Amino acid sequence: MTDRRTFLKGAAALSAAGLPAIPGLLRAAPKAQVVVIGGGYGGTIAAKYLKRADPAIRVTLIEQNPVYVSCPLSNEVLGGERDLDSLTFDYRGLTRRGVNVMQDEILEVDPEQHFVRGRSGNRYNYDRLVVSPGVDFRWDVIDGMSAEAAGRIPHAWKAGPQTVLLRRQLEAMDDGGLFAIVAPPNPFRCPPGPYERAAQVAHYFTRYKPRSKIIIYDAKDAFSKQALFQAGWKEHYGNMIEWVPGAAGGIIEGIDPDGRTLIGQVDEYPADVINLIPHQRAGALAQLAGLTDDSGWCPVDQRSFESSIHKDIHVIGDACIAGDMPKSGYAANSQGKVCAAAIAASLNGEPIPAPSYVNTCYSIIAPDHGISVAGVYELSDGRITGVPGAGGLSPMDADARSRAIEAKFAHGWFRNITSDMFS
Amino acid sequence: MSNQSPTAGASAGCRLAGCILALALMQPAAASDVRSPSMLANTCAGCHGTDGASAGEYLPTIGGMDKDYLYAVMSDYKTGLRPSTIMGRIMRGYSDLEIWAIAGYYASQPWVATDRVAEAAQVHVGERIHDQQCETCHEDGGRGQKDETPRLAGQWAEYTRYALETCRSIGRRCDPRKMAERVMQLSDDEIDSLARYYESRK
Repeated sequence: MTDRRTFLKGAAALSAAGLPAIPGLLRAAPKAQVVVIGGGYGGTIAAKYLKRADPAIRVTLIEQNPVYVSCPLSNEVLGGERDLDSLTFDYRGLTRRGVNVMQDEILEVDPEQHFVRGRSGNRYNYDRLVVSPGVDFRWDVIDGMSAEAAGRIPHAWKAGPQTVLLRRQLEAMDDGGLFAIVAPPNPFRCPPGPYERAAQVAHYFTRYKPRSKIIIYDAKDAFSKQALFQAGWKEHYGNMIEWVPGAAGGIIEGIDPDGRTLIGQVDEYPADVINLIPHQRAGALAQLAGLTDDSGWCPVDQRSFESSIHKDIHVIGDACIAGDMPKSGYAANSQGKVCAAAIAASLNGEPIPAPSYVNTCYSIIAPDHGISVAGVYELSDGRITGVPGAGGLSPMDADARSRAIEAKFAHGWFRNITSDMFS
Repeated sequence: MSNQSPTAGASAGCRLAGCILALALMQPAAASDVRSPSMLANTCAGCHGTDGASAGEYLPTIGGMDKDYLYAVMSDYKTGLRPSTIMGRIMRGYSDLEIWAIAGYYASQPWVATDRVAEAAQVHVGERIHDQQCETCHEDGGRGQKDETPRLAGQWAEYTRYALETCRSIGRRCDPRKMAERVMQLSDDEIDSLARYYESRK
C-alpha cells in the first residue's frame, strides 16, 4: 500500500536523480534509450520530436562537432551577402529540451549487441539507433581528386572552412577570370545547389569583377529548376553563366595536379578557380555500420526509415533512399519527424503511424529573386510518392513582386527550419 | 488568447463540422492510413516554426489562430481563390479532412507574439487607422478572432504588410469585400503603419 507520504518521497527521489517529478512521467511507458548520430537537418529533428512525442524516452544526440554550420544558404557566403556566423548554431536548445547531447565521433557500430562506441572511448547502448550521417564524397571517380586535394580545390559542399576557402579564392581571382563549377551526377545532396551557386557567384562578380565568366561542367543533361535558373541567370547576369551538359562535353574525368585544368571526356578546360563537387554516397558512418547497398545509399522501410539491412537502426536524410524525395534539408527535417513518430509508437507498442512528408526548397538567384520547388508526399505501396497534382515549381511567368517575396520567404524558411532544429 | 467569442466560434464550427462529417462518411474506411493531425501538421513547421510560432518576419505565425479561419485560408489556397506563391502548390496535396485536421492542430497551440519593439510614431498612425476602419471586425486591437477573423496582434509586421499589399493588389477579389474596399484606399505608408501597430499589440 502506498500512502501519500511514500509517494512524495518517491517523487523527491526521482527529482534528485535529475528527472522531473511529474505525474505524467510516472504513468509513461517503460524507458527506452534512443541514440541519434548526426546533429544536422535530420538528426536534430529526430531527437527533438522523439522527446516531444514521449518525454519518457531517453534521447542522446551524438555529434562530432561542437557547433553546426548550415549548408542551405551557404551559397550566400560565396555571393558576399552573408557570413558564416549567421549559419552557425549550437546545441543548447536541444539540451534544454531534455536531449542528452554528446560531442563524440562514432567509430564502431554493433547492430547485434545494440551499441555504438565513440573516439572518446564511451560506449552508448541503444534500443533504437537513428543515423543521419549526410553524404560522403567518392574520391575514386575523378583522377587527381582526393580529400587532400580538396584542401586546394574546394568542394564547399559541406559548409564551414571549405566555404571560406572557396570565397577567398574567388576574392583573389582577377577580373576577367574564369570560374568553373563541376556538378556531380544524380543522386546528390541539394540538387539545385550548383546552379544557385553559379548565380550567387555571378552576383558577386557583377559588382566586383564584371568581366569574369562562370562555366558549369555538368555530368547531367538536365538539372533541378533548370528553366527557372536559366531565365534568372539571363535576366540578372546576361551571358556570364554558361552551362555545359554532359552530352556536350560536360563530363569531367580528371583534374590536373596544378588544379587549373579540368580533363573532360572530349577536351581539356583551363580555369582560374575550380569548384569541384564530387560524386557522392551515404555518409561514412552509414558505410561503417554496413547500412548501404550497391548504390552507396541506405535502403530503408520508407514508412519508419528503419534500415532494410539492420533491425532497430533507422537512417534519415541525405543518406537514405527515400522514394521521390530529393536529398534536401527540408526532406531530412520531414523524415526526422516521421522517423521519430514511428519509433515512439513502436516503443509504446502501437502501430507505426501513417506518414506524411513535405519538401520545400528555395534558391536565391539574386537578392530580389527567389524561386522554389515544393513536394507533398504520401506512402504508396511502400514507396514515398509525390501526391499527384500537388507540389511543383514557381511559375515561369511570375512577376517581379513574386520573385522578390520568394527571396524573403527563403530567408524566413531558414529562420524557421533552424529554429525547428535548434530551439 | 482568451479572446475568441465562444458563441460565434461554436456556430461557425458546428456548420463546418456538419460538412466535415458528411465528407468523412464519403471517405473509404482505412483506419491505418488515416494520418494524425500532428503527423500532418509537423510538416508545416519547417517554414512556420515549431507548433506554428514563426521566427521569420515574412512567414506568419499560425499557432493559436482560429480553427475556422485556418481551414478557410488553407482551402482557399488549395482552390486558388486566395493567391499565393507556394501555399497553393502545397495545399493541393491534402484532402479537405486533412486540412481540417491541420487547422485543428494549429488552433490548439499557444499563440506566440513577436517580441519586436515598435516605434511609437508609426504605431500611433496605425492605431488611428485601425480604430476608424478595422476594429469592427478585428476587435480588441487585432486580438479578436470571432467569425473566422485572424489574429493580427503580435503577428510579424512584414507578413501583415505583405498580406495587405496582396489584398490591395487583387482589389475586389480580396475576401471579404468589405475589407478589400477599405484596403484599396490605403497608401504604402498607411499599410506599413497598420502592420507595425498590430505587431506592437501582444
